Amino acid sequence: MEDVQVVAMLVRRCIAGDSAAWEEIVQTYNRRIYNICYRFAGSGDDAEDLTQEVFIKMYRTLSSYDSSKGAFVTWVTTITRNLLVDHFRKTKQDRMTDSMDATTEHEDAQPLSEQIQDQSAPPDAHVRQREVGETVHAALGKLSPELREAVILRDLQDMDYREIANVLKVPEGTVKSRINRGRAELARLLQRTYRQVM
Amino acid sequence: MPEQTSNGMQCHEFDGLLSDALDGLLSGAKLDRFQAHARACPACGPLFAEAEAGRNWLKGLTEVEPPAGLVENILASTTGIASDRLRAPALSTPPRVSWLERVQARFSDAMQPIWATVRQPRFAMSFGMAFFSLSVALSVVGVKPSDLRQISLRPAALRHTYYNTQARVVRYYDNIRLVYEVQSRVRGFKRSLTPAEPGPVKPKDRKNDTSKEPEQKQERNYSQTENNLILACAPLGPSVNDLPVVSVTTYRRFV
Ligand SMILES: [Zn+2]
Repeated sequence: MEDVQVVAMLVRRCIAGDSAAWEEIVQTYNRRIYNICYRFAGSGDDAEDLTQEVFIKMYRTLSSYDSSKGAFVTWVTTITRNLLVDHFRKTKQDRMTDSMDATTEHEDAQPLSEQIQDQSAPPDAHVRQREVGETVHAALGKLSPELREAVILRDLQDMDYREIANVLKVPEGTVKSRINRGRAELARLLQRTYRQVM
Repeated sequence: MPEQTSNGMQCHEFDGLLSDALDGLLSGAKLDRFQAHARACPACGPLFAEAEAGRNWLKGLTEVEPPAGLVENILASTTGIASDRLRAPALSTPPRVSWLERVQARFSDAMQPIWATVRQPRFAMSFGMAFFSLSVALSVVGVKPSDLRQISLRPAALRHTYYNTQARVVRYYDNIRLVYEVQSRVRGFKRSLTPAEPGPVKPKDRKNDTSKEPEQKQERNYSQTENNLILACAPLGPSVNDLPVVSVTTYRRFV
């Protein structure tokens, strides 16, 4: 996924004070971090603040990164996840509940298969697709944080189980179990929304 | 081994294999046992269907676009806040860079190797410097070495060339003088605001410290206001203090 030597060199340059190297790191990872934060925290504003916090933390602790202990992307994700935990503790979640219900109201019970697999693409297909995305996003926010982070790292960030276990500091079996439950719980929430059994 | 069916696998084992099954990593007997358990177990069967559905929902989510300016904000908040810790030398240079300073910095960077060679034999130094200033002055006003070859050596023509060049030099330095005067006044003003103690970096060290210039410049542009206030008191970088001020006074008499 990442060239270990290239990243290690980038980090070394960065620690030596090369701001171009730091900018490269920011350019490379901001999208990933922002997306993790957005999917976990729910709102774009929070995600923006959190992403900045992640990079500030990274910048301060860059010299503590040890390439022998794991990939840089795992280290970055761990920092992100730890900040998300802090964020979650500070702000108790109820935020997504309302938007979930709101989406349900203007979303009719059209089967998902029709919504997604309709390739003839009428003008409002994008709108509909976006609405589906918003509904899934809102449902994700209703999962417990342990399940949410597990499915985000697996299904949205495509990390393997070992990497996720590394980030979450739990055994791989626990990771798999959380992913199973997270996915199933999400399906149940959406099933209720769309009144449709997958 | 189809005869092992439902009691050939326990629920926790099924749970452990579920993600692999969805990833299509199960095969042979293991897959058979897995599927058999899914059919027979009232808890695991629905779990399998739901997990698969949930994964499909999640896979349908596309990546979102980070807001515009996120990278700039990150750079401002990181290189601004942490610069005093991670790279202390950055503090010895001013936060904002005018185009003139940039040009001068680039110019002195480019001249570094030349300087090194010329300086090596000590007796040649003054000679080298004289030649250097002359060529710099000429190139600055747009006289190329190829032009020199074509200069007529007749006294009248020579005089014409001389006055022509002198006029260009004078015009150029008239313009540049204004800039430097403004600069030196600003500098004087800054010094009057600075406590009497000398700056953190000695002039001698500065000449050798140009290697880090380009990146520092970039970060200065994004510096936070708080840092600007501190840095405004710091002495100016190497490029400003070196050649130009002296040249101005020299050419002033020329006018
Ligand atoms: Zn079972």
